[in-house]
Amino acid sequence: MAQEDFNPRILGFLCNWCCYAAADSAGVSRYQYPPNLRTIRIMCTGRLDPAFVFRGFAEGADGIFTGG
Amino acid sequence: MTKAMTKKAGAVMVVGGGVAGVQAALDLTELGYYVYLVEKAAAIGGAMAMLDKTFPTNDCSL
Amino acid sequence: MVEAGRSPNIKILSNTDFLKLSGKPGDFTAKLRVRPRYIDHDKCTACGMCTQYCPRHLVDGYNEGLALTRPIHIDYPQAVPASYFIDPEACLHLKHGTCKICVSACQARAIDFDQQPEEMDLKVGAVVMAPGFGRVPDSALDKYSYGKHPDVVTSLEFERLLCASGPFEGELLRLSDRQHPKNLAFIQCVGSRDLGCDNGYCSSVCCMYAIKEAMVAKEHEPEIAITIYYMDMRTQGKGFDAARARAEAMGIKFVRARVADVMPWGNQLKLTFATMDGSHYFEAYDMVVLSVGLDSPADAANLADSAGFALNDYNFCRTSTFAPLQSSQEGVLVAGAFQGPKDIPESVTQSSAAAGLVSALTKKDRGKGYVVKSYPDEQQLTDDDEVRIGVFVCHCGVNIAGVVDVPDVDQYVEGMEGVVYHAQSLYSCSQDAQEVLKQKIKEHNLNRVVIAACSPRTHEPLFQETLKDAGLNRCLIEMVNIRDQCSWVHANEPAAATSKSKDLVRMGIAKARHIKPLPEQTVPVIDKALVLGGGIAGLTAALNLAEQGYATALVEKEAQLGGHLQEARYTLRGEEVAKTLKGLIDQVNKHKNIKVFTDTELVQLNGYVGNFSSQLKSRKGKGQESTIDHGVVVVATGGREHRPEKVLDSPVKYSAKVVTQRELEQRLAGKAKNRAPGSVVMIQCAGSRGDDLGYCSKNCCNDAVKNALKIKEINPESQVIVLYRDLRTYGYAEDYYRRAREQGVLFIPYSMDNKPRLTAGGKAPKVGFYDPLLREEVNLSPDLLVLSTGIVPDDTATLSRLLKVSVNEDKFYLEAHVKLRPVELPVSGAYVCGLAHSPQPVEEIIVQAQAAAAKAAIPLVKGYVSVEPTVSSVDQSACIGCGLCEALCPYQAIRMHKDENNKRKAETVTASCKGCGICAAHCPVFAISMGGFTDEQITAQITAFGQQ
Repeated sequence: MAQEDFNPRILGFLCNWCCYAAADSAGVSRYQYPPNLRTIRIMCTGRLDPAFVFRGFAEGADGIFTGG
Repeated sequence: MTKAMTKKAGAVMVVGGGVAGVQAALDLTELGYYVYLVEKAAAIGGAMAMLDKTFPTNDCSL
Repeated sequence: MVEAGRSPNIKILSNTDFLKLSGKPGDFTAKLRVRPRYIDHDKCTACGMCTQYCPRHLVDGYNEGLALTRPIHIDYPQAVPASYFIDPEACLHLKHGTCKICVSACQARAIDFDQQPEEMDLKVGAVVMAPGFGRVPDSALDKYSYGKHPDVVTSLEFERLLCASGPFEGELLRLSDRQHPKNLAFIQCVGSRDLGCDNGYCSSVCCMYAIKEAMVAKEHEPEIAITIYYMDMRTQGKGFDAARARAEAMGIKFVRARVADVMPWGNQLKLTFATMDGSHYFEAYDMVVLSVGLDSPADAANLADSAGFALNDYNFCRTSTFAPLQSSQEGVLVAGAFQGPKDIPESVTQSSAAAGLVSALTKKDRGKGYVVKSYPDEQQLTDDDEVRIGVFVCHCGVNIAGVVDVPDVDQYVEGMEGVVYHAQSLYSCSQDAQEVLKQKIKEHNLNRVVIAACSPRTHEPLFQETLKDAGLNRCLIEMVNIRDQCSWVHANEPAAATSKSKDLVRMGIAKARHIKPLPEQTVPVIDKALVLGGGIAGLTAALNLAEQGYATALVEKEAQLGGHLQEARYTLRGEEVAKTLKGLIDQVNKHKNIKVFTDTELVQLNGYVGNFSSQLKSRKGKGQESTIDHGVVVVATGGREHRPEKVLDSPVKYSAKVVTQRELEQRLAGKAKNRAPGSVVMIQCAGSRGDDLGYCSKNCCNDAVKNALKIKEINPESQVIVLYRDLRTYGYAEDYYRRAREQGVLFIPYSMDNKPRLTAGGKAPKVGFYDPLLREEVNLSPDLLVLSTGIVPDDTATLSRLLKVSVNEDKFYLEAHVKLRPVELPVSGAYVCGLAHSPQPVEEIIVQAQAAAAKAAIPLVKGYVSVEPTVSSVDQSACIGCGLCEALCPYQAIRMHKDENNKRKAETVTASCKGCGICAAHCPVFAISMGGFTDEQITAQITAFGQQ
């Protein structure tokens, strides 16, 4: 598969207080980024059970993003 | 015709329904007061409602 | 705003004139006149049918006259109250007795032409005046061809042009020919700093909004060339200089010049300007924006007369440095731009402060008029109940719908498991949309709600409140962020943004199927306050809390109260400092609700909002310790004058000839004969704005002007030269700057590319600088070299550790939110004010301290704090008592206890729990559940992610 055809599906787990807030402010300042990320808000990345990551891959995610 | 408002004690009047008036009204209620918010225009909001973004972070103003 | 519309304790009287105030503080009577809307507020559904049928056009005031509306209309869809009104001056029926088309067009039968003006008397204990600001007279705009050429617009008109809800839906077009302008100029100080229109003051906001509008315009039109013509860039607020630097990096040009006039020139505009060296130039522009200042409100004189208070020379409310919000009428306070031109955060701070002052003034009546909001009984929900989800997809005007295909997303959810209702909404946060939401919940018996709109961080509380009103537990909502994290960031990829929205909505619905009602929890509050710091901020905050009726402990590490203000002698306005400060200290010392601890330090602080316990230690004698229990804490640890060892790259040795502004002030207040020598050079930003400190210290320009005037007063022959970068005498301080110039003080600007060269040591200080007017280098050996060194916070390292809060890179405390929560610290129950917060003049410190006291009093008044339901809970039967969670919890919010069978079990300390979920992620037996973020819910979201 050519590099440019690769359109990954990324699952993100975002901390409410930092990364989710940062993603909000990216929107507020109209930062543009590729639309490949689907996010799940959690209250802290401490909440991220490793099982969630495995589950994400099993459900077809090409990558998992965590921000916190 | 004059209609008397027989509001009991503990009421405060805020004149002006812009951002300052609205904030004062909200804080007064949090401090246990009943507030009459008097605005001469048809809706509250004042000049703030006309702004699109605010400085320096360019947040939405509403 | 919507919050104010919903509060049961705020009665909004719109379309209402304030006529007269009589009586005395605590017992005023206010006479009002309510003008008719001609529309029954209770019946109007804000459907807009009447506007469509109204035959007459009317210039739209809300859009600054740039668009048309009808005599019957609403200003904007989110207006509060959300009901239409008829402009009696334009309505054909009210003017000429004809028409009445709207009456039959209105299906709600809300139109009532029989309404009459109504007068009413209100009994109120106190009054807060917040009428805002007015427009500068058109005559001040004449010379810029405003009104003569359509492409000369005011900044407020430009704001509407840029706005998505504005006349061109956010597209930047010239009004003359609907073409995109290629270049654009901003002219600063229009109607401010201008005696021509009697507005000698600086409006304090125009520099900021010009930069903002320029940046937004540049985002809309990346190719556009923008120049801002200014005299001084007064971006003195926290982070403001950085925004200016960002604007410069975007390619926006800043030119220091005075604009003489603007004239039509072909289909362009010719702008003539003079630079600092006196040269004249001209430049052609497609569009010119006038940065108009804030004038006093048009009805200021009327208001003052009706309520019996005095105005200042500029027709704003008259107040003083040490009682900044007190009008000359006792019981009447002022807040916002009417106190003096200012920006939104500062207005909001003043409002909180005014509320606190009212609370102190009328404390005996507190709570007597308070209406406790009642909610319908909460509908009980069991696991057996059918899941009935309602999905609402928001357009947010064009914010979402301009990118995402909202109807497509709405249609997409049709038939999804559990979804029994779905709809679109133009602005789902508007008051009328809340009513629709409530109605739909009842109509379709919804027991879960999914809102696809903006961020839960900003809007979830609003929807939760509506759920409560509808009899649902407030946790039964899931917000899907298709604006901030979708339409706004994928503006150029509508298809991808729509498909992302669908995925996110599907995942949100999957979670919603598993959300459960959570109980409301409250924690009692100890009704005592602790104030740290006995300077002007701490004294003010403690006094206000005490006057509101709360026992307050005031802790000062030095032997004496007063802080660094003790070193000041007089204010810019000429008020004496020492006497006022002493009066305040006496009041604090004598107050029965205040216990003063001098020579004392805080050594430990435990607990959480409502239940803090602090350990104090005396710095004297044996170091006696005492413990104080309190519900809230106000941090007012202050700051002091900076003393840099190097200024503008030159080493400094302070001496009798090289002094700081504060030292000069003390000397000038003294009696020494030669205290105002024949030649004085002052260096501004000698330590601030990137020289040593990264920020603008906000005081030094005022101090330089103040001391320069004092020197001239003592020795009119003295030659005083002030070398500056931007002279930031914002607000009324501009008057004194002008006076100093009139009295012969020379103000000469310097730039960072060509800094003054100092020899600032020993007995003969020397200064060399470039004079742009003479266009040559000047070398001087002044009798006195005065350095405006700026302000640094007092030690914040120790206390920030004790409080577990952070400081910014400049060592000032970081507030919870710069605009929305400026005096709150991120730790609940902790507040900050004064120089510990940011550098600011004494008047602003006092306001901020009053605001902090007002905010701190809120939990004390309530007697409890509510805890977010998103906390952890431990299933006692599943817990094996391993203690892993207790060890991992960063907030000490889980502790081990023994159950009735003497088995070790974990339990949550609800008030301390921040809901982070570390415990739940690590529990080996899955005994810990996170409210609103259960394993089940997150797993459902992940599974839905896979079902694309």
